[in-house]
Amino acid sequence: MKRRRWLTVVATVAVLALVASACSNDEGGGGGEGTDTETTEVDEFGTVEVASGEPINLGTLMVISGADAALGQDSQNGAVLAADYLDGTFDGTPGQLLGHDINWVHEDDLCSAEGGQAGGTALAADPSIVAVIGTSCSSSALGIADTILSEKGILLISPSNTNPALTSEEAHQPFYARTAHNDRIQGAVVAEYALNELGATKMATISDESPYTQGLTAAAEVNFEAGDGTVTARERINSEDTDFKPLLRSIAEGDPDVLYAPVFVAACSLIIKQAADIMPDVTIMTSDGCSSSDTLKNTGGAIDGVLVSGPDISVFQEGEFYTNDFLPAYESAFGSEPTSVFHAHSFDATNVVFDAIEQVAVENDDGSLSIPRTALRDAVFATSGYEGLTGIITCTELGDCATDVTIGIFEGPNWPVEGGQGDGKPIFSDTKSLDDVL
Amino acid sequence: MRPAIRIGVVAGIVTIFLAAVGLIGNFTELNLIGELVTFAGLMLVTPPLIAGYVAVAPRVEAGELVEFERGRAAVVGGVAGALAGAVFGAFVIFVDAFGVERIRRVFINISPVLMDYLTAGRPAAVAAVILVVVSAVAAAAGAVYRLLPDAVRKPLGSAVWVTLLFGFLQRIVPIALDQLDIERDWLYSKVTGGLTWVGAIAIAAAAAGVSVLKARKGDAIRGAIAGRGTRDDGRPGFTPLSVVLMLAGLGVVLVAPHVLGSVISEVLGTVMVFALLGLGLNIVVGYAGLLDLGYVFFFTLGAYSLALLTGATLNTFIGSTEPVIAFNLNFYVAIPIVVLIAAFSGVLIGAPVLRLRGDYLALVTLGLGEMIVVLVTSPWLEPLVGGPNGMRDITNAAIGNFGFRDPKHFYYLAFAFVVLALFVSWRLANSRVGRAWTALREDEQVADAMGVSTTAYKLLAFAMGGAIGSVGGALFAVKIGSLTPASFTVLVSIQVLGIVILGGIGSLPGVITGSLVLVGLPGLLREFEEYRLLAYGAALVAVMLLRPQGLVPNVRRSRELKEEDREQDKWASDVAADERVAAPASPLGESAG
Amino acid sequence: MGSSGVAASPARVGGFATLPWRRIILIVLGATIAFIVVVGSYRTLTLPEGERYSGDFWVDQVVNGLGQGAILALIALGYTLVYGILRMINFAHGEVFMAGAFISFFFADAYVKSGFLNSSPYLCLLILFVVSIAGSTLVAVLLERIAYRPLRNAPRLVPLITAIGASLFIQNAFRGFFGPQPFGYPLPTVLEGSVDLVGIPVSKVTILVFVAAIVSMLVLQVFVHRSRTGRSMRAVAEDSEIASLMGINVDRIVVITFVVGGVLAGIAGVLFSLTFQQVQFTMGFKPGIAAFTAAVLGGIGSIGGAALGGFVLGLLQAIGPPLLLTGFNVPSPFSIRDAFVFLVLILVLVFRPGGLLGSGEAEKV
Repeated sequence: MKRRRWLTVVATVAVLALVASACSNDEGGGGGEGTDTETTEVDEFGTVEVASGEPINLGTLMVISGADAALGQDSQNGAVLAADYLDGTFDGTPGQLLGHDINWVHEDDLCSAEGGQAGGTALAADPSIVAVIGTSCSSSALGIADTILSEKGILLISPSNTNPALTSEEAHQPFYARTAHNDRIQGAVVAEYALNELGATKMATISDESPYTQGLTAAAEVNFEAGDGTVTARERINSEDTDFKPLLRSIAEGDPDVLYAPVFVAACSLIIKQAADIMPDVTIMTSDGCSSSDTLKNTGGAIDGVLVSGPDISVFQEGEFYTNDFLPAYESAFGSEPTSVFHAHSFDATNVVFDAIEQVAVENDDGSLSIPRTALRDAVFATSGYEGLTGIITCTELGDCATDVTIGIFEGPNWPVEGGQGDGKPIFSDTKSLDDVL
Repeated sequence: MRPAIRIGVVAGIVTIFLAAVGLIGNFTELNLIGELVTFAGLMLVTPPLIAGYVAVAPRVEAGELVEFERGRAAVVGGVAGALAGAVFGAFVIFVDAFGVERIRRVFINISPVLMDYLTAGRPAAVAAVILVVVSAVAAAAGAVYRLLPDAVRKPLGSAVWVTLLFGFLQRIVPIALDQLDIERDWLYSKVTGGLTWVGAIAIAAAAAGVSVLKARKGDAIRGAIAGRGTRDDGRPGFTPLSVVLMLAGLGVVLVAPHVLGSVISEVLGTVMVFALLGLGLNIVVGYAGLLDLGYVFFFTLGAYSLALLTGATLNTFIGSTEPVIAFNLNFYVAIPIVVLIAAFSGVLIGAPVLRLRGDYLALVTLGLGEMIVVLVTSPWLEPLVGGPNGMRDITNAAIGNFGFRDPKHFYYLAFAFVVLALFVSWRLANSRVGRAWTALREDEQVADAMGVSTTAYKLLAFAMGGAIGSVGGALFAVKIGSLTPASFTVLVSIQVLGIVILGGIGSLPGVITGSLVLVGLPGLLREFEEYRLLAYGAALVAVMLLRPQGLVPNVRRSRELKEEDREQDKWASDVAADERVAAPASPLGESAG
Repeated sequence: MGSSGVAASPARVGGFATLPWRRIILIVLGATIAFIVVVGSYRTLTLPEGERYSGDFWVDQVVNGLGQGAILALIALGYTLVYGILRMINFAHGEVFMAGAFISFFFADAYVKSGFLNSSPYLCLLILFVVSIAGSTLVAVLLERIAYRPLRNAPRLVPLITAIGASLFIQNAFRGFFGPQPFGYPLPTVLEGSVDLVGIPVSKVTILVFVAAIVSMLVLQVFVHRSRTGRSMRAVAEDSEIASLMGINVDRIVVITFVVGGVLAGIAGVLFSLTFQQVQFTMGFKPGIAAFTAAVLGGIGSIGGAALGGFVLGLLQAIGPPLLLTGFNVPSPFSIRDAFVFLVLILVLVFRPGGLLGSGEAEKV
C-alpha cells in the first residue's frame, strides 16, 4: 500500500519530466535562427540580418549598479563614445556603420556570477545582438557569461577582465576576447620589480575572497619563485575583516622583504596602516584594486613608500588624440571626468568589433546587412597591429588582445589617482608580452 | 486631532529619510505612467497618503469604536498631510539655505538632482508651500479612501496597485508581449519607458472590473469550481470544472518558458531555486519552530558536493585542474548522494546543538553558515573546491543530449523538484510527524511530557530541511554551471528566511508567493539593486509588526502568532486534554523551552 | 488516510532516538577537539628552529588579542544587558555600535581638517565620545521603540526576526546616507606611537582602549549595583512581572537598558575607530557577532561574564589559529579565524551553555 503510493508519485514526476523535455525538444529544434535564408555562406551560429534602416544591435554587460558602478559605467561610456566616433568626430551624434545606426542594449553584470548569468542570458536571448562589450568583472564572465554567449555564437569582448584563467588554454571560450591586460603580465612585473629593483629574496602575499586577487598573487608568486625568490607566506583574508594585526604579526615571523597585498580599498587601507606599525621595514606592494583616492585619504602618512602596480595609463594618456579629442568628448557627453581607467580599453574593444563588422558584413542589394557570426569572431581574433587608444592591439588565438602591456609601479603618495601627489608618473615601468611571462 | 499631528510629523520624517537614502533623487527619471507618475513622485506622496489613511483609523470613545465621518476625515487627513508636507518643506528650505553641495559632502544622496526635482527651479519657500499642498491633498485622499464603502474602495484600491505594479514591470512585460507577438506600443511607451496613459487606464479598468466581478460573483465562481460544499474531512472536493482549471493551470505552467522567453525563464529559475530553499527552511522554521539563520550551509553543501560528485574542474591561474577528490557521476545518481550527505550533516550538526533554546540555536546556525563560507574560500580547502576562483564545468544534468543549463530547460528541471518538495512538505505537514512538530513547536515541554521525543523530531526536521535545501544548492550549481564563494553569503540565509516569513510561516503557498515577491520582483527590477537589502530589512520588521502571519497565511499558524494565549493544536489538545502540564507562565511569552 | 502512509516513521524515529546518539556525538566531538588542541599546540611549539614562532610573537599576539578583546567586551555588555532584562538577543546591536562610530567620524573628520583635533586633542576626544554615545543611544532607543516594544509579548523568535530585519535596515540606511566606501578615521597625534610597558611595546591607542573599557565596566558595575535604577534593572531581570507589581515601571527600565547598551556601544565605537582608523557601513556585523559570542562565552546575562568573555575571545582569535592549526600544516591559519570563533561559540553552548561564569548546566527555559 505504502510503497505503491510512492511509486505513483515517482511515476507522475517522471512522466511530467518526460512531457516537459519532449515539449522543449520540439521548440529547441524548430526555433532559433533557422529562418535566415538570404545568407550566401552557411555559418554554424547563423547570421544576423539587419534590415534596411534598422540599427545594428550591440550589447554591453557591465556593473552599472552597486558599489562598483563607477567601474562599469566608465567602461560603458567608452563603448558609447566609440559609436559616437564612427563618423570620425566626437560631436555627440552617433555615427553610422555601413549605413546603419548602432543601438545599445545595456545589461548589468552586478559584478557577480548571478548577474553575469542574468545579463548574459538576456543578451543571448536576443537574436539581433551582434556582439557584447563586457563583462566588467571576471567573476561574471568566467564559466558564465563567456559560456552562455559562446554557445550562441555571440562575441563577448571585455575591457576590464584581467583574470588569467579566462584566456587559458583549458578555460577559454571560443567567442571570448579582451582588450584588458592579462594579470599574468601584471603579476610578472610585480615579481620582476621586487626581485631586481628592490633586491628582495623573500615575499609574502595576501589575497582575499575575490578571483582577481587570487589570480594576481598566484602570478606574482610563480614569477617570484622562478626568479629564485622564496614566498614566505600565502595568506588569505576576508575583505570585510578589520583586525589584521595578528595576521601581519605572523607574516612578520617569516621576515619577508616585500608584502604583496593586491586586495581592495577597505582591507588594503587597513593593511597598509597596520603593517606600518608591525613591519615598518617591509616594502608593501599592492595593485590596481587598491589604487583609489579613498586609499590615499584613509591611510594618511602610512601611504608613503607603498607601491602600487597598474596598467601604465600615462603611456596613452599623453597621446594627443586622448587628451585633445577623447577626454573633452567624454566630459561633454557624460558630465564628469572618467571614473576608472577602462573607458579606453572599452573604446578600443568596441572599435575592434566595428572594424570586424565592416570586414565581414555582406551588404545586400535591398540595403540590408548580413553579419555571419563565426566570420565576425574570426575577424576579431585576426586583429593584428590595430592602433588603439591603449596601444597596439593584436589578438591571440586565446582572445588576449592586449598582448604588449605596459605595467607601471607607482610609489605612494604619488599614486596616479585623484589626490595623489607629484606628477603621477611611475617609478618603474615595463612592457611585457604574454610570451615573456609564466 | 493629536494623533493626526503625530502621524503627520512622522510621515514628514519618513519622507526626509527616503530623500536622504536616495530613493527620491535617484529615481526622478523612472517613469511609471506617462511622464507625470515617476517613482520619485510616488515616494514623495506615499508617506502622507499612508499618514492620512492611518490618521482616520477608528478611535475608541467611551468604550465604543467610533468611525470618522467622511468630511471630518478629509480634514483630519489633510492636517496630517499638511504637517508632513511642512516638515519635509522645512527640510527643503534648510537644504537650500545651507547649500546642497555642503550637505552632500556628508549625505551623498542629497544631491542637486534631488533639489531640482523638489523645487523645479522655483525658490525653496515656494516649493515648500507646494509640497504642503500636495501632501495635504494626498493625505486627504488617503483618509477619504479609508471611509469609502467597500463597493468603491476595493475596486479603486486594486486598480491603483495593479496599475503601479505594471508600471514597475516595465522591463519585463514588454519582453513577454514581444515574445507573444502582441502589439505593445499602446501599453508601454518607448519614450518614457513606463506605461502610457491609455495603457494605464486600460489596466486600471481591467483591475477594477475583476475586483467588482469578484465581489459580486466571487462566491458563485468559487462554488462552481469547488463544487457544492466540501468533503467530510474539510478539504475541497473535485468537480469537473476544478479539474479542467487545474489542468489548464498546469498547461500554462508547462508552456510558460516558451511563451515568456529565456529572460523571464531565467528569473523564474532563480525563483524556483529559492522556492526550494524556502520549502526546506519552512520545514525547520515553519513546521518544527526552530529558527535557522545559517541555511546557506545546506545551500553551499548541496552546490559544492554536487560539483565534486559530477566531475567539475577547478579554476586556476593556469587554466584548470582536477579537484583532489573527484567523481564523475551522473547528475541523477549524484542527487540522492547529495541529499544523503546533507541529511547526515544535518543530524551530525543538529545533535549537539538542538537541545539549545531557540535563540541560541539561531546564533549557532548563523555561525555554521559563516563557517562553511569561510571554509570554501580558505587556502586549506582550495585544492578541493578552488578557493575564490571556484569551479566550473558542472554537469548540466543532461538526459541524453538534452541539457538543462539553458534557462528555458532549467525551468522544467527546477519545476519538477519544486513539485516534489511541495508534495513532501504537504505530506509531512499532514502526517503524524507533522503533528509531532506542531506539538513541539507550540509547547516543547508539553510535547515532551506526552512522550514526543523532542530531540529526535527536531533532528528529523533539521535533516529534512537540510536535504531539501541541498537540492536547491545542487540545482543552483546546475543552473549557473560555475561556482564561486561570492554566491554563498549570509545574505542567502536572510533572503530565504525573508521568503518564509513574508509568505507566511508554515504556509506552502506562502513560500511560493514569498519567492516570487522577494526573488522574482528584484530580478525583474534591477534598478533597485542597491535598495534591495534596505527593503528586505524593512519588510522583515513590517511583516512581524503588522502581519506576522505573512502574505498567504497558514491558518493554523496565524492563530499562534497573533494571540498571546496560544491555543493548542487541535491534535495536541485532543490527545493531551487530560494530562496537560501547564506551561510555566512567562512574562516574556517565550514559546520554546 | 493521511496517517497510515507514514505510520512507521515515528516509530523509527523513536527507535533512532533511544540510542544515546547525542552522547556518542558529544564524546566524539569532545575527543576530537581535545586531540586538536593538544596535538596541534604541541606540534606548533615543537616545530624545528627557524619555522617555529618566536617568543616575541606570542607576546605581541597576547597584546593584540587583549586590545581587541576590550572592545569586544564593551559591545558584549550591550548584548548581555538586553538579554538579562528581556531574554532576547538584540541582533541589531552591532549596528548600534556602527552608528556611533560612523556619526563621530564626521565630527572627527571636520576637526582634523580645521586643525582642532590636534590643537586640543583631549577636548576633541571627549566630544567624539559624546557624539558617538548620542548616536548609538538614539539608534538603540529608536530600535527598542519601533522594532521591539510592540512585540514584547510575542513568541521569542518574533523579536529576533525583527532584529535581523532592523540590522539589515540600519546598515543599508547608513549606506544610503553616506555611501558604501570606507572612510579613514583620523588619529590625534598624541595617540600615535607606542610606549614600553615592562619591556613590551604597546601602542597608545591600545592603552586608551584598555583604560576606557575598564573604567566603563567599573562604572557600569557600580551603576547596576548601587544606584536605584540599577537595582530596578536587576529586579526586572529577575522577574519583570513581580517587579511591575512592586511599582517599577518596566517600560522605563527597558528603555534605560537600551540607553546603557547604547552608551557602551558608543564608547566602543570610538575606541574601535581609533584602533583601526576606518569606518564603513558593514563594520558592525562581524564585531557584533563576535561580541555576542563573547557574551555567551562568559555567560550571558552576567556583566563580569561579558567582560571576561570579550577578553578570552580576543585572545583566542589572536592565538588560537596559529597555535592549533600551524602544527597541522593548515595553510594560512588566520583565513579560517571566523570559523574558529563560531566553533568556540558552538562548543561553549554544547558543553557549557551557562558560559564560563555560568552554572554550566543546560538552560531549559
